[in-house]
Amino acid sequence: MESPDRSPQPYWNSYWAGFGLGLVLLASFVIMGRGLGASGAFTTAVAAAAHAIAPAHAGHNAFYAEYLGDGSRSPLKDWLVFEVLGVFAGGFLSGVLANRLKFTVEKGPRISTAPRLALAFTGGALMGIGAKIALGCTSGQALTGGALLNVGSWAFMLCVFAGAYAVAYFVRKQWT
Amino acid sequence: MNAPFFKYGLFGDETSLILAFVIGIAFGFFLERAGFGSGRKLAAQFYFTDLSVLKVMFTAIITAMTGVYLLARIGFLDLSLVYLVPTFVVPQIVGGLLLGVGFVIGGYCPGTSCVSAATGRIDGMVYLAGMLAGLFGFAEVYPSLETFLHSTSLGQITLPALFHVSYGLLVFAVVLMALAAFAAAEWAEKKTAGKLPDPNGSLTALPWRLTPVRRLAFGLAALGLAAALAGSPYRGARVTVDTRDLALRASHDATSLAPATLADWIIQGRNDFALVDVRSETDFASYHIPTAQNLPLASLNADFAPRNQTIILCSDDGTQAAQAWFLLQAQGFRSVYLLSGGLRAWRDQVLFPKPSAEAPAAAFEKQAQVAKYFGGAPQTTGASAAPAPALPKLAPPVLAAGPAGATQPPPKKKKEGC
Repeated sequence: MESPDRSPQPYWNSYWAGFGLGLVLLASFVIMGRGLGASGAFTTAVAAAAHAIAPAHAGHNAFYAEYLGDGSRSPLKDWLVFEVLGVFAGGFLSGVLANRLKFTVEKGPRISTAPRLALAFTGGALMGIGAKIALGCTSGQALTGGALLNVGSWAFMLCVFAGAYAVAYFVRKQWT
Repeated sequence: MNAPFFKYGLFGDETSLILAFVIGIAFGFFLERAGFGSGRKLAAQFYFTDLSVLKVMFTAIITAMTGVYLLARIGFLDLSLVYLVPTFVVPQIVGGLLLGVGFVIGGYCPGTSCVSAATGRIDGMVYLAGMLAGLFGFAEVYPSLETFLHSTSLGQITLPALFHVSYGLLVFAVVLMALAAFAAAEWAEKKTAGKLPDPNGSLTALPWRLTPVRRLAFGLAALGLAAALAGSPYRGARVTVDTRDLALRASHDATSLAPATLADWIIQGRNDFALVDVRSETDFASYHIPTAQNLPLASLNADFAPRNQTIILCSDDGTQAAQAWFLLQAQGFRSVYLLSGGLRAWRDQVLFPKPSAEAPAAAFEKQAQVAKYFGGAPQTTGASAAPAPALPKLAPPVLAAGPAGATQPPPKKKKEGC
């Protein structure tokens, strides 16, 4: 029996991980005629939840209606929903294989857990709103649209970097 | 074999969901391998200490971009069938800035937060909860934002089309730009983090050997150069037609749509089809069905709509529409329908319906409502000698005031984008 090494393995080289990601994206184009996504699946989930709790309210909201479809089948039977379930599974699988599963909070040494979690929540909320305004997130817009030379996606991508660098200084205590 | 497989009908919706899961697994796997389950590693991008985000993202982009170009150029992949998110300039700039701010505050983007939560990061889970809350709040204020969200629309447009440069040349330019950015990133990492790059994983570190990573970079640059020299990746206007296949499709009944059905679709406000009027501009100007766009037969080209869009063609008696039907089928459009009987039938059946002996009165009542909606008038007497009724003026109530029973929210096509 070999003695199991339980320490986390190093991450892959960025270029090879990116190459793999690019091939997955290419496969999605070839197989489905669409790219990858993430935020859309969560919107569908929110719409489905709103529909389950307050059907009349959700039905009259044009935003939800767009994600609920025509009612002929469950809105959760959606391509992006299944894709994102796969992302959870794939991330978990990779984490297990590389001994990286760990209940922890990602933060710098100069911030305690509670404020870090508050910032994570705030950031998540901003991303949810931003992704809906821009019709996509880093997956659906930047990656997918970037590879298709989509005009809006490139404008979006440059602004993501601009926005992040502009604010980075003010939250430096969180990370460094 | 033709790609995209799904859009050429190689498999159905159910199978596509299984494939979605498989593609998702691969996506999540590579994200985690890259280290993107860690908020610290992601955020380091914005302090110049670890520029993995830039490297991974742009390697993925140029890999997929050159791959798409080559597969489209050799005729395997029909690029016009790959979904392109429409461009709305200002909303995408504003949304991008918000996302960037959220990225550095939250530490993740939506995709990477899934991987982070799946590997036990509590901040990743909280981030996801925040995102759901944000989406919920957004839905509640959506009606007041709708005008802004649909402003500065450019439609589905690529950079080569916007700047009038060749697609291949732009592919090459983006590859070179990305490689230059990688070199700059490695330089910045050395400056700020002071770490010596591993020569095997770096493009710029000494000694100058042809490491696998450099081979990858050279390979992508060579493919980009090939793209710059080769032609357009779109399928040209010169097409080969499978006449037997086309004849079979033409003989199929399902290629036409009854005027009454079209009327229902318009009243319901459905936006998952394009109604195309192929008559001349003057005929179009004198009367057309609400929501129709005018593309005279002579100027019909393949670029007005994506190949998988449902298109309904109409002309006076249907002859010109049928000719357009063949043109579009030959160019690879999948779901093109004819308004059966053309505008003549539209006038007789929708605008000025007559009661018939066999149809019940209730059915005629509904027809009459539809007719009024489109500005027509039901013909109550059987007086066939009466002069032909005049066509309605061109401003029928489009969506605001539908007849009773047509006010439920329109069944919309689900979004395809992220």
